[in-house]
Amino acid sequence: MTQAEIKLCSLLLQEHFGEIVEKIGSHLIKTGNQPLRMIANDTEMSLDQVKKALCVLIQHNLVTYQLQKRGIVEYEALCSRVLRILRYPRYIYTAKTLYSDMGELIVEELLLNGKMTMSAVVQKVADRLTETMEDGKTMDYAEVSNTFVRLADTHFIQRCPQAPETSENSAAPPPPAPTLEANEKDMYMVPNLNLIGKGKRRRSFGDEDNGEHKPKRQKQDADSKEPPPDDGIYWQVNIDRFHQHFRDQAIVSAVANRMDQTSSEIVRTMLRMSEITTSSNAPYTQPLSSNEIFRSLPAGYNIVKQILDQYLTLLADDPLEFVGKSGDSGGGMYIVNLHKALASLATATLESIVQERFGSRCARIFRLLLRKKHLEQKQVEDFAMIPAKEAKDMLYKMLSENFVSLQEIPKTPDHAPSRTFYLYTVNTLSSARMLLHRCYKSVANLIERRQYETKESKRLLEKSQRVEAILASMQATGAEEVQLQEIEEMITAPERQQLESLKRNVNKIDASENQVDETIFVLESYIDSTVKKA
Amino acid sequence: MAGSGKGRGRAAFTFNIEAIGFAKGETLPEAVFKPTPLFPPTGFKPVPLKMGEDEDYMLALKQEFRGSMKKMPYFIANKDENQAIEKYSKKYLQMRKESMEWIPDWRRLPREMKPRKKTKKAVEKTKKAKVDTTKSNVDVLKKIEELEKKGDGEEKSDEEKEKEKDKEGEEEAANEQEEYDEEEHEEENDYIASYFEDGDDFGAGSDDNMDEATY
Repeated sequence: MTQAEIKLCSLLLQEHFGEIVEKIGSHLIKTGNQPLRMIANDTEMSLDQVKKALCVLIQHNLVTYQLQKRGIVEYEALCSRVLRILRYPRYIYTAKTLYSDMGELIVEELLLNGKMTMSAVVQKVADRLTETMEDGKTMDYAEVSNTFVRLADTHFIQRCPQAPETSENSAAPPPPAPTLEANEKDMYMVPNLNLIGKGKRRRSFGDEDNGEHKPKRQKQDADSKEPPPDDGIYWQVNIDRFHQHFRDQAIVSAVANRMDQTSSEIVRTMLRMSEITTSSNAPYTQPLSSNEIFRSLPAGYNIVKQILDQYLTLLADDPLEFVGKSGDSGGGMYIVNLHKALASLATATLESIVQERFGSRCARIFRLLLRKKHLEQKQVEDFAMIPAKEAKDMLYKMLSENFVSLQEIPKTPDHAPSRTFYLYTVNTLSSARMLLHRCYKSVANLIERRQYETKESKRLLEKSQRVEAILASMQATGAEEVQLQEIEEMITAPERQQLESLKRNVNKIDASENQVDETIFVLESYIDSTVKKA
Repeated sequence: MAGSGKGRGRAAFTFNIEAIGFAKGETLPEAVFKPTPLFPPTGFKPVPLKMGEDEDYMLALKQEFRGSMKKMPYFIANKDENQAIEKYSKKYLQMRKESMEWIPDWRRLPREMKPRKKTKKAVEKTKKAKVDTTKSNVDVLKKIEELEKKGDGEEKSDEEKEKEKDKEGEEEAANEQEEYDEEEHEEENDYIASYFEDGDDFGAGSDDNMDEATY
């Protein structure tokens, strides 16, 4: 784990889970697998706190445990999973675009809680939706369950690995840690539940005077009831499926930018057809015949078969090689080259970064080097048609920032510098890694800056929160305009301005974090695609 | 051997400098002896952020998510920070939050995660802020104290009870503090008892309640 990743993970943990969980999480990320006692020892925290923090982290799928020899349980933090917290808003938004508000709330609840049973999710989401509906209407559990089933069918949510069933009469003592098994077949099977009910609206203020006793009583009621029928079956968000979806989206929009809307629709159809048949890290999709594609095109598109064939040929001949032709049967077998597409996307990102950082002339040199692979100093000047001095300057600037590297080719076995070729080249993989590291650093810096800005105006923020609370309570009890105005004037005009500018800055920084995460996604997908999985 | 250079003592590179593009005899750029600056000036302004409905919605989602996470029972705040400025509302907010305590599914976690039942019971008892603790000597001391205090008024015992409420979850610290408080109050009693030896009313009043001998 690089320093930048560790820093970013600790900032994310602190923001979302608090200081104590952050300390333990960061410690685990830095030191690797450790048993409970060692964690408590090294972080100098009480055993109780360490246990609580570990429970929270395990609940959110950020830490896993393994039973080692001699009954010692070791805990391991998943650094890459912690970094995904940056992408949660994107997951929720995608669920909203695909499955509307219900899907959005289901995914949001699952992300907030880590893992939940289906009945718990359905209940919470129905309650939340009922809050937003008009008075008198409630959300039925059945609708929410339907959306849940659809999410499971398209693999966006999956079951967590199952804990073994404990039989009461087992002779041996229970193991120190249960071994959770992931059953491949059942991972998306929804249990047969008869969820009948409607969402409940939270009671208004008047009823909540006895509220403190009522929740306790309700909780006891819930405990005394039988455990829900799907007890022990927990669901979590399937992050890989979302990543697959983002990747498909990126490819389709790239094709749309490069060619036209129709070709992007064709590619989208091809990707949709291969969603379930292709694994997420396959280099290319399963071959699809032109006839199949024609049949599966969305209903709105009325293109003739010949036009479709022409489009496919165009796509296959494109130098970017998003689509390839793998055979001639069935009117032509076509595949989408996923790894090549990811590489092109990463390269395009690199080019755009060079352009924005160094200027368009440097970008020209960079693209030239990408195309020609290896070039000497002199050749760069000739091909790029840039005067020697400037070309030299630009190359050295890029070399110092590690976008470009030198390759030595000796003419003689003694590697004498006067008799060696020095060629400039671009290594996309190492540049991508370097940029990814930089992205992590940028997000960490952004989060720090945002926290600093908020801390500077902490007093002012608290004051404004208090004023808002007073206003809200006064409005609820019915107050005159004059009184409300008086309270609003408690915040003076320059303070209001300060609050406005603080809000603007914080929004800008948050939006930047989201966008850097998009770049992180592209670069990470590319790097993952090049790593050979054993 | 190779590369003796043009003249003795003059600095020369070991390779033909034309290979990397410098003409012969040309002034080379200065060598830099400092590390790169912390905030280097960038040549170009950054591109403006993407704006649009999607981005705005995701921004709102992000901020809402952060806010919701802070309210969940999974957020364990540092106790020290909370007590920087004691707010009256904190007492009521904390009680509501505790009613939302989250209990993990113990079947899925290693056995060592579960807090042992002994400590669990003790924690619950101190939370109730009643006088019955597991330690019997504290019981006795408290009873003695309450009997003594009847003469001084009921304020002090109320103070004790409030102090007990505040120290939830820190059983040992709480017991230690209580004993310390008792010592303080006892010292006050000793001081009063030993200093004013005369005064029939005073002596008569305290004789009835005190179990300890007068000094």
